Amino acid sequence: MEFTKIFSQAEVERVHEASLEILENVGMLVRNQKALEIFAQNGCKVDTESMMVKFPREVVEKARETFVPTYTFTAQDPKFDITMPGDRPVVVTGSSAPNIIDPKTGEERRATSDDIANIAYLINELPGFDVFSISTLADDAPEGQFSLSRFYPALKNCKKPVRSNTPNMEDLKDVLELGYLIAGGEEEYRKRPFINHHYCPVVSPLTFDVESTEAVIYLIEQGLPVYGTIVPNAGMTSPLSLMGTLTLGNAEFLGLATLTQMIRPGAPMIYAVLSTVADMRTGAYAPGAIETGMLQMAHTEMARFYNVPSGGYIGLTNAHTNDAQSGYETGMNTTGALLAGADLFNMGGLLGSLMAFDFGKAVIDNEVALMLKRIKKGYEYSEENLCLDLIAKVGPGGSYMDADHTLKNMRTIAVLPKVATREMRRRWEDQGKPDAHARAMKEANKILSKPNKGRFSEELDAKIREQFKGLVAGDAKWSL
Amino acid sequence: MSVQDIYDAVVEFSVDKVVSLVDAEVKSGTDVSEILSNGLIAAMDEVGQRYSEGEFFVPEMLMAAKAMKGGLEVLKPLLSQGDSDKKGTIIIGTVKGDLHDIGKNLVSMMMEGAGFEVYDLGVDVDTDKFIATAKEKNADVICMSALLTTTMPFMEVTVKAIREQGLSIKTMVGGAPVSEDFANKIGADGWSTDAPGAVETARRLTAK
Repeated sequence: MEFTKIFSQAEVERVHEASLEILENVGMLVRNQKALEIFAQNGCKVDTESMMVKFPREVVEKARETFVPTYTFTAQDPKFDITMPGDRPVVVTGSSAPNIIDPKTGEERRATSDDIANIAYLINELPGFDVFSISTLADDAPEGQFSLSRFYPALKNCKKPVRSNTPNMEDLKDVLELGYLIAGGEEEYRKRPFINHHYCPVVSPLTFDVESTEAVIYLIEQGLPVYGTIVPNAGMTSPLSLMGTLTLGNAEFLGLATLTQMIRPGAPMIYAVLSTVADMRTGAYAPGAIETGMLQMAHTEMARFYNVPSGGYIGLTNAHTNDAQSGYETGMNTTGALLAGADLFNMGGLLGSLMAFDFGKAVIDNEVALMLKRIKKGYEYSEENLCLDLIAKVGPGGSYMDADHTLKNMRTIAVLPKVATREMRRRWEDQGKPDAHARAMKEANKILSKPNKGRFSEELDAKIREQFKGLVAGDAKWSL
Repeated sequence: MSVQDIYDAVVEFSVDKVVSLVDAEVKSGTDVSEILSNGLIAAMDEVGQRYSEGEFFVPEMLMAAKAMKGGLEVLKPLLSQGDSDKKGTIIIGTVKGDLHDIGKNLVSMMMEGAGFEVYDLGVDVDTDKFIATAKEKNADVICMSALLTTTMPFMEVTVKAIREQGLSIKTMVGGAPVSEDFANKIGADGWSTDAPGAVETARRLTAK
């Protein structure tokens, strides 16, 4: 499959050059002490007083030499391990929403650890999703267990790679401790680190923050999986033009990538972004806007220039319910990104610009994911697939319905959707006119009504609960 | 030349014009509190109104607030305690772990524009700093902002600490993930979806 290109080679190189100019002349504000030291030791010009770091171009170019082209998400169950770009598109849930649309009442409320358990189980079962980024916060978290109350129900109920962030180092270390227990020891865990860490250490414009930069440095040093997303917002934290925001975001990616390669040359990375254009009427955040998809496409082209996997939060929506807006925002932006060659899609399950998880949205996004994967699978060009013999055999006026070829392909050639309807109107009316949301909730209900077999063993669970006293139950429980 | 011209210059967000007009108005002997109330503050109310109606975009509101602030700087040395008609004292910052400050900066400016005395502590502010500054400045309201959902819990920590210390300082919370339910749950006194709303809430909380 040829990828959609937005720029000529000369234009791509100019964006790279311009990014180097920004890093060299404007520099970045680095609020983390360790990062300042690392930059200073590796050839950057560091002013410890003002925390300003300037990057000579040869420093950035040196970091580029050790970029690696692949990134793997490891799972508790090895059959779910997934590597980019080979296994693209890697579809991930959207994460860390404070709220959930209650599946019974349809009303928005704070999400809990029980919700995370249900979501984890659902994502484990939906084939379109490859990675479970923990969708919500847990409002019922006991004091001191903010992150454990998210990772425990997630890891207990989902054997696919689990991904999320932690707000501080204590929480990060607790979460790793949980990983060690599940793996049967630290050494075992390090062989297959199935907790995939993610942060936004760069706050646009051009600033490294304190806590998440600390976590990123620690994880890279430890050789554990981590990557960052760059999040400029045009008109607010970056220039109000697509070119300006692309270039600033690209410079910020290079800044983070340089730090990463300074700590551990060859550390895997993803060129991940959530570049947006703010709605200047109100300042509203607009991740569902078409410009988000356009920016993702251009960032992906830059990532290809650097030969690193690309993607980000693409396919989010501002809609508050599973309506047409929710569908076209997710559908159009992810399709654009896929055609441009993006590998990673943080797209599933969230409404209201990352504010609330919705079970129906997750099931619909699973179907969008399956469609994206169908596009990626493509035409499978071959002489045989031209079907010349078959066309001659059936001839003019014949039928292909009973051909062996048709029987062979009928279950695999097309996506067979569970949410999209293909019923005649009359039949759909007889069913009570269910819309996409209603059909999606039916699917969610079908999956979640069965008990989850993939939980922890009694023995392991007892060990975990012994280690972390007062931990939430973390079991998937569903009733509508 | 009149107070109306100052009002118009703020609404047209012309910083230079506001500064020179306020300066000239002061020299011509107009009452300072008249310039402040009917020129600058009234103009910012109009700006907030136009924003709420969708006529003004955010950058226009921001620039009007800057123009207003320019005029305020001219008046400040002339304002005696009585003149200033002080609306109240506000402490504002983003909570610990959160560096996202665009919304906070806008609220800070609009609060100043509305005549509040504002102490902006910047970003990544912990509970102790919020409370120590509030005590030192004898503040009426502490305003906390967060963009990251994972830093929201620090709002609750601060509200709790204020209650535990038996302080009468009011609290307001804001930022994209903050809702009325959340504000109620953590026991904050006020919240708002946007900057003009934050000003309204602060006015309500400080009404004597």
